[in-house]
Amino acid sequence: MKPEPARVVVVGGGPAGLSAALNAALSGASVLLIDSSSRLGGQYWRHLPETWLEQSELHLDLDTGLLLISAVANHPKIEIWSGAEIWSATHEDGAATLRLITNGVEKIITTKALVLATGAYDRTLPFPGWDIPGVMTPGGAQSLIKGNGIAVGKRVVVAGSGPFLLPVAAGLAQVGCEVIELLEANSPLRWLKSLPTLIQNLSKIGEAAHYIAIFNRFGVRPKFNRAVVAAHANQDGELESVSIAKIDSNFKIKKIERVKCDVAAIGWGFTADTSLAGALLLKQLVTKDEGVAVLVDENQESSIAGIFAAGEITGIGGSELSIAEGVIAGLAAAKYIGCKAEISNNHHKTRAKKQKFAKALISSYPVKSGWQSWLTDETIICRCEEVKYSKLKFAVTELGATDSRTAKLLSRCGMGMCQGRICGRFVVDLVANESGISPSDISEKERISVGNRPIITPISIELLANGE
Amino acid sequence: MLTLLVKPSASITFTFNDLEVSAIPGQSVGAALLAAGDRVLRVTRFEKKPRAMFCGIGVCFDCLVVIDGAPNQRACITEVKAKMVVRTQVGGA
Amino acid sequence: MNSPDVIVIGAGVVGASCALALTNAGLRVLIIDRGPVASGTSGAGEGNILVSDKEPSPELTLALRSRNAWFEVNEDIGGGFELDGKGGVVISRSETGIAGLKKLAKAQRENGIDAREVNAAELRKLEPHISPTIEYGVYYPQDAQCQPMLAAAQMIRAVKKRGGKFVQGENVIAINSKNGQLTGLTTNKNTYSSPIVLNATGTWAGDIAKLAGSYLPIAPRRGFILVTVPAPELIFHKVYDADYVANIASGEADLQSSAVVEGTASGTILIGASRERVGFKSEFEIPILRQLAQQAISVFPILKELQLLRAYRGFRPYAPDHLPVIGEDGNISGLWHAAGHEGAGIVLAPATAELITAEILGKTPFMDPTPFSPKRFMNQNPSAGVNVAS
Ligand SMILES: Cc1cc2nc3c(=O)[nH]c(=O)nc-3n(C[C@H](O)[C@H](O)[C@H](O)COP(=O)(O)OP(=O)(O)OC[C@H]3O[C@@H](n4cnc5c(N)ncnc54)[C@H](O)[C@@H]3O)c2cc1C
Ligand SMILES: Cc1cc2nc3c(=O)[nH]c(=O)nc-3n(C[C@H](O)[C@H](O)[C@H](O)COP(=O)(O)OP(=O)(O)OC[C@H]3O[C@@H](n4cnc5c(N)ncnc54)[C@H](O)[C@@H]3O)c2cc1C
Ligand code: FES
Repeated sequence: MKPEPARVVVVGGGPAGLSAALNAALSGASVLLIDSSSRLGGQYWRHLPETWLEQSELHLDLDTGLLLISAVANHPKIEIWSGAEIWSATHEDGAATLRLITNGVEKIITTKALVLATGAYDRTLPFPGWDIPGVMTPGGAQSLIKGNGIAVGKRVVVAGSGPFLLPVAAGLAQVGCEVIELLEANSPLRWLKSLPTLIQNLSKIGEAAHYIAIFNRFGVRPKFNRAVVAAHANQDGELESVSIAKIDSNFKIKKIERVKCDVAAIGWGFTADTSLAGALLLKQLVTKDEGVAVLVDENQESSIAGIFAAGEITGIGGSELSIAEGVIAGLAAAKYIGCKAEISNNHHKTRAKKQKFAKALISSYPVKSGWQSWLTDETIICRCEEVKYSKLKFAVTELGATDSRTAKLLSRCGMGMCQGRICGRFVVDLVANESGISPSDISEKERISVGNRPIITPISIELLANGE
Repeated sequence: MLTLLVKPSASITFTFNDLEVSAIPGQSVGAALLAAGDRVLRVTRFEKKPRAMFCGIGVCFDCLVVIDGAPNQRACITEVKAKMVVRTQVGGA
Repeated sequence: MNSPDVIVIGAGVVGASCALALTNAGLRVLIIDRGPVASGTSGAGEGNILVSDKEPSPELTLALRSRNAWFEVNEDIGGGFELDGKGGVVISRSETGIAGLKKLAKAQRENGIDAREVNAAELRKLEPHISPTIEYGVYYPQDAQCQPMLAAAQMIRAVKKRGGKFVQGENVIAINSKNGQLTGLTTNKNTYSSPIVLNATGTWAGDIAKLAGSYLPIAPRRGFILVTVPAPELIFHKVYDADYVANIASGEADLQSSAVVEGTASGTILIGASRERVGFKSEFEIPILRQLAQQAISVFPILKELQLLRAYRGFRPYAPDHLPVIGEDGNISGLWHAAGHEGAGIVLAPATAELITAEILGKTPFMDPTPFSPKRFMNQNPSAGVNVAS
């Protein structure tokens, strides 16, 4: 392979990656921005093609995003590869090698300076019937609006926990869905406690008020201490109704009622996509919400010199923290290859402020272990391999698995196409519970290891065989 | 109320299980099918259960369809193209 | 369990098989592993139960008995480990390869193996998707396959049901003996006494021997495996290129590989396997994955259309003479070894267990165990600088 020119490679075209790319370029670095989506913007600034109707009413902060996207797209020092998915990454002799697939072709690049900004996806929990068509994540429901201009269904229940449920419910109402329930599993006290932090920290102060106005307009009444604990299918096997439970503070069921709906959008916050970081063997840590994040220093540098990380993969914190981290990571990466880049006190201060906000938020929306009591023996745990709860329990109680890797090999939970991205995180909790290990005793290693997948995304055997 | 749907600059057609479906360029295969009333995209390998889009952003691999003969394509992140031949994925293909 | 008759170190397929056979023989067995069940090589390889890849030799006798013993174990414990007597097909495209295969098949037939030469048309009946460039093969109906992790777990489950015990998460750090007679062992957490300790620690068996003041030259030989996405049934037997046979006997450290392709109960297809002696080097090496993919496609072009989902690697335990080590230690009486099965630990496990059990009980084993005896390394003094390949 011929030697690559000194440049910064950024993976991820969301708020963090865009900010990193732009700031590295503004410092004089050549930048290659790689993103698997067909349009830049990441999850937050997911948008329709420019030729479509104006959509700002659906999206509070899109203007900022489109500005940033066009600044990146028009910067002469930034090369952009959209629709390029990295399937493997390794690090050797001070340089990272990334192998990616774009338009059905494999490309290989090496770089000394790398910024990872691969973001996050909805955190999910299993419950009876969650595999029925019509049950989906809030992020999924939202991506259909933001990225495709379609409404996901007619009668929608939005449920789970966390502030993200608000924009999703609001967006659904605005595009004509009847949001028949908006359910937060935690108590209003927790919720109210986080509101001041929320408002104080948002540059657009009216965000909460904005959603409340929308809810008033469309008659959406948020309820607390409630969760969707089962979904039921009609004759065609599609969603017909959900069981909504009033739950206690540990998420144990108190009372159940059935509600008819054709879509249930249910999410519990986010899970960082650390596959790429794991493949590069970056040090990771367990966060307060039992998630996993890439460990970084104050300049967003990971445990490997020259590899920086920013955005949700360093800890869930929302778009503004992602931007603040992306800016620093971009500057630091440029500096690493010898450009003149200044990381100021202000940069650190902005980030610290957003971090505080993120921390407050996360502790406001915990996921309590009582959710495990919603499961029945028949509940699907691994959607890909159709592994039922009874089979996972058998792996623990009869076959002797006490960790999630062994449970996976003995039950096939997490062995399917998504490689444990969906079930890996909660299988750790289920296995621990079944083996009598208390949640606080689950080791860091155990939680981190579920994100290990050396093959980050499936690659055609033919491409693999033909590569260098 | 904001009525979504989009003034498409153009509309394209593709087929799903041999029936013609129209879509707006830029949409994903999964979104175009959902808009046309086709939510179920695949049938599972073991229990033959229907599945639809779940995560919507390419993570869960539940939206797998066969596109132009190639199985295991994620409908939620594959942009629809004119004349695509899309089929329900039954089991492994 | 206060006083087990035997402590088995290692909850891999070999340790589990031995524990089951010893339990069935009426002994009280305690299994100890530093990790969970099958957390060593048994959880990182394939589950081929092959008689086809062995020349007439003591190893073949062991393999043939073992193949049948697997089906007896399956009966005994009620299955649950995907044992499938699907048969194997060995192919070759070169003149010398084909000649070698013919000769091997003939010799195997004389030793009780069902080895049927198949021509191009018959080959296609067995494997419709095989490459058109392949016109000769040998069909081995006795070849079988299982899921080794489940096999180990199910055997240990049976041992526990029959009164044995499995302690996981304890690392053996000392083998205790008095006047050359074993007395028990010590882990990082406990000391256990027992008149007999069976070392079934696979690739790490040399370390245990060393703890006991004895010596076993077992070293790791790395292998990678590719796993495809689930697919409809495309491959019906275990199919491998004849080079595979050659590679096992070869003594070179350099990367060797040849296609071994098989479907699994879950619909994925496994593509193996590389062989290299690089110590416990665990990094993923993409060039090796590419080579495996190329070789698999050359046998089954249809695999081009599939995707790679996962890859993993394991470390086969091998002795310099490529034979397993089965029997009592030459220096410490009461210390037994069942290790070093290299790329055949799955197939050889139940027969290994039979040999060990017969010897421990002082009964006549079904074959002469001398070729596998640990005593063959006795006069190799490590301090004299015997070079253990790494
Ligand atoms: C579906 C969804 C909707 C969301 N909507 C909102 C919202 O409305 N408001 C809000 O405040 N927060 C929202 N969030 C939270 C959101 O994660 C953050 O606010 C913000 O988008 C995080 O920015 P980021 O740059 O860290 O990552 P992301 O925006 O997630 O960007 C990561 C990018 O990396 C790419 N990528 C990942 N892996 C690879 C790979 N192997 N190869 C190539 N590219 C790769 C992805 O395609 C993606 O474009 C949403 C999250 C999700 C999952
Ligand atoms: C890629 C690959 C493919 C293969 N394919 C096949 C195949 O198709 N067919 C076949 O027959 N064989 C195959 N093999 C070989 C086979 O996997 C091994 O021979 C077999 O698994 C060895 O089993 P074992 O029980 O001896 O060792 P292991 O499974 O490694 O078990 C040893 C156990 O000892 C434990 N241990 C070690 N040290 C200590 C200690 N100090 N204290 C406590 N516990 C300890 C370990 O934790 C481990 O669980 C393959 C191997 C590889 C790598
Ligand atoms: S819906 Fe999850 S990958 Fe498409």
